[in-house]
Parts: sequence; C-alpha cells; structure tokens
Amino acid sequence: MQTAGSAVAVGVLIAFAAWAKIAKPMSPLTDARARALMAEEFPGRPIDALWVATDGAGALARSGAAALVLCEVGDGYVARHIPWAQAVASSFRDGVLRLDLSDVAAPAARLAFDAWPPLGAEVEAANTKPAKGRKTAS
Amino acid sequence: MIHAPFDPVTLAVPFFVLAVILEIALARFRVTPSNYETRDTMASLSMGFGSQIAGLLTAGAAFAATIWVWEHRIFTVPFTAWWGWVAIFFLEDLTYYWFHRLSHERRFWWAAHVNHHSSQHYNLSTALRQTWTGGVSGTWALWLPLAFFGFSPAQIAIQKGISLVYQFWIHTEAIKRMPAWFEAVFNTPSHHRVHHARNPRYLDRNYAGILIIWDRMFGTFQPELDEEKCRYGIVKNLGDFNVLRAAFHEWIGIGKDLLSARSPREVAGYLFGPPGWSPDGSRETSATLRAQWEAERKAG
Repeated sequence: MQTAGSAVAVGVLIAFAAWAKIAKPMSPLTDARARALMAEEFPGRPIDALWVATDGAGALARSGAAALVLCEVGDGYVARHIPWAQAVASSFRDGVLRLDLSDVAAPAARLAFDAWPPLGAEVEAANTKPAKGRKTAS
Repeated sequence: MIHAPFDPVTLAVPFFVLAVILEIALARFRVTPSNYETRDTMASLSMGFGSQIAGLLTAGAAFAATIWVWEHRIFTVPFTAWWGWVAIFFLEDLTYYWFHRLSHERRFWWAAHVNHHSSQHYNLSTALRQTWTGGVSGTWALWLPLAFFGFSPAQIAIQKGISLVYQFWIHTEAIKRMPAWFEAVFNTPSHHRVHHARNPRYLDRNYAGILIIWDRMFGTFQPELDEEKCRYGIVKNLGDFNVLRAAFHEWIGIGKDLLSARSPREVAGYLFGPPGWSPDGSRETSATLRAQWEAERKAG
C-alpha cells in the first residue's frame, strides 16, 4: 500500500515538474560560451582550436594531444577528454560525429558537424575531409 | 526497546511531497530561483523510490547485527530518559559526519554514495536521490557502537530518521541564507549547496548531517561564497539520465580497474583509495583538483 502510494506520488511530482517548465534556459553554444565552459571543465588546458557543433549542442576542442569534448545533456553539459587521434578517427556519418568516451558514466558523445575530421588534422585516413563547422583558433 | 514506535521518515513523506510541489510552484511563478529538468527529476525520484526497495534487501542483516551488539552492550540508556535523547542527538550526528566523510573520501563507499551527487541540479528532488547500494557497502556498521554503548535499536533508528528528515529541506536554492546564529551551528541550504558543488574550492567540504560544528571542528568547513557560484554534480558528470547508470557506474568502474590491477597495492588503491586514485597518478582526485586550482589561483 505504502509502496503503491509512493509510486503514485512520484508520478504526480514528475508530471508537475514537467508542467512547470522550469529547466535551466539553454541556448545554442556560441564560441565564447563554449570556451567559458571548456575553461571551467578543463582548467589549465589551453585550447588550440575549437569547433562548435552546428546545432550548438556541444563543442570539441583540440588541446595538444587531447580532444576536449563538451556535450549537452538535458539542461546541463557533460565533459570528457580523449586522445586527439581517437577523436579524429571517430565515426562520422550523416553529419554526426560519434565519439567513444570509454567511460561507463558517459560512454559516448554525439556532435553535429558539417564535416569531420577538421582541416589539417594529422591523420593518414584516405577519406579525410576538411571540417565545415564553426571553427575558431586561439 | 527494539522496534521503533514510529518512523520519522514515513511520517515525513507527505511533507516531502508537499515541499517539492511548493518549491516547483514558487519557481514556476518566479518567486524563487529553483530549476527542475523533467528527466533529472524523474531520475531523482525513481532513485528515491528504488532505494526503499533496495534497502529492504539488507535491512534485516543490519537490524539483526544492531540487536546482537545491543545485547552485548556495556551500559543501558533508558528509552524515555531525556538525557539519552540529547546524547544520541550529538553522537548520531557525529557518526553521520564520519560516515559521510568516508563516503566521499574512499572509493568503495563513494561508489554507494555517488548517485546522490550525480544530478546537475540542486533542488528538493535531489534530496530523494538516495543510494541503492548503501546497505551492501556496509556503512550501517558505523552505527553499531551506539548500540554497544547502550542506545536501543529503536532509539538509533528514530534518531537516524530524524537526521534524514532534517537533511531533506536543506537541498534547495530557494533559501539563500538562514540567520547567522543558525548558519554557525546547523547545516543549512547554503552549507549543503557547497557540499553538492563540483567547483575545486568546494570539493569534499561540509559533510555535516544536522550540525555544521563537526566540519568546523575537523577542518572541512567551507562557507558558500557569493563570488563563486556553485556548479552542481560530480567531477565527471553522467552522460544521460539512466538510473541504472547513476546507481552502478562507479561499482562497474571499480570492477574494471580491479581486473587491470597488477598488485595487491593496486587492488587496495582502487578499492579504498580516494575516488580518482590511479597507480601512476594520471587520474584526478579531489586533492589534485584542489591543488591545481590553488596553484592557478596563486599564479594569478
């Protein structure tokens, strides 16, 4: 009885929260906002170049041999870093870059780009194409 | 007395529900600044619901152990003695402080506690994002000395319940600061916001249950600073709202690390080192993050 009551209460509260529409306001990332978030998430790591996803729902930066990944989750962000070479070699299909983050807490990230990998990346893949996303170098 | 005549948590459930509704309503009409994301709220409340079920699996063992220890007690504290309630108020809260500190500073127990911190939100639903694996992690054993000293299982259960109920209301951004005297003695929304923040300055601070005095005594107190807004969540936030991931990700991480361990030292480090410990120091712990932040701050 108590368990059933708790389940009903949980349902009511979720419905009420959904009705209220009081999530944090989210707008597509700008270069400046992405850089600020990267600085918070990866303090002390210089950004060599930054690509903001075409839908503004994430960004990817190069910092030396690392790729810094920022991805929108709900009304927040999840951040991880992976080897740059791994990011460059990641699967890119239908305008979506699929990154294996190798972390059970956040296994993968998906970022929308016009093209991948970016121009000048040190890869030997035969199908390398220059990126057309919004890129800024620091 | 073995069985508690009432359960403070059960009695408080209607208050929990009404308080969440009130917090949402006040935010909806822009009276207070709280935020609720629907999937996050669903995860938090589902974890609270699930913890009730998961708790049943180990409650019997914990209760039996408490009774056994109480039967071998060195004193007897009468259930109706006022001084007994004063004593258990302080002793239980001190026990909670060390339980909570252990749950943050040693990975095995962090694995059971991390889910409570895994929301990027700080609201009353976060308070209900309770552990599913606390029972199996064995932290209930920390309360056994109270039974050994003569506090009855019922009295311990009631005081633990009172502490849990107290800690509900402090999970809010709707209350900025309490009066100064209250902030000096009690755990408050402001103090606990710091505890849930992932800013390096705020990591592993304010472990208090009811009384903040323990943090002040043991050097883990950090006031909330107006110039540094709390960023909530964990150092490496979750990639989705899957409650199974929230409940078990750190346990899976421990399992993977143990499979790669090459010595007993590494096994011990992965299990009982601080969260983020690694043999070569390549991962980040709270201490390294804080040191890095301190160095950058000093460098200007």
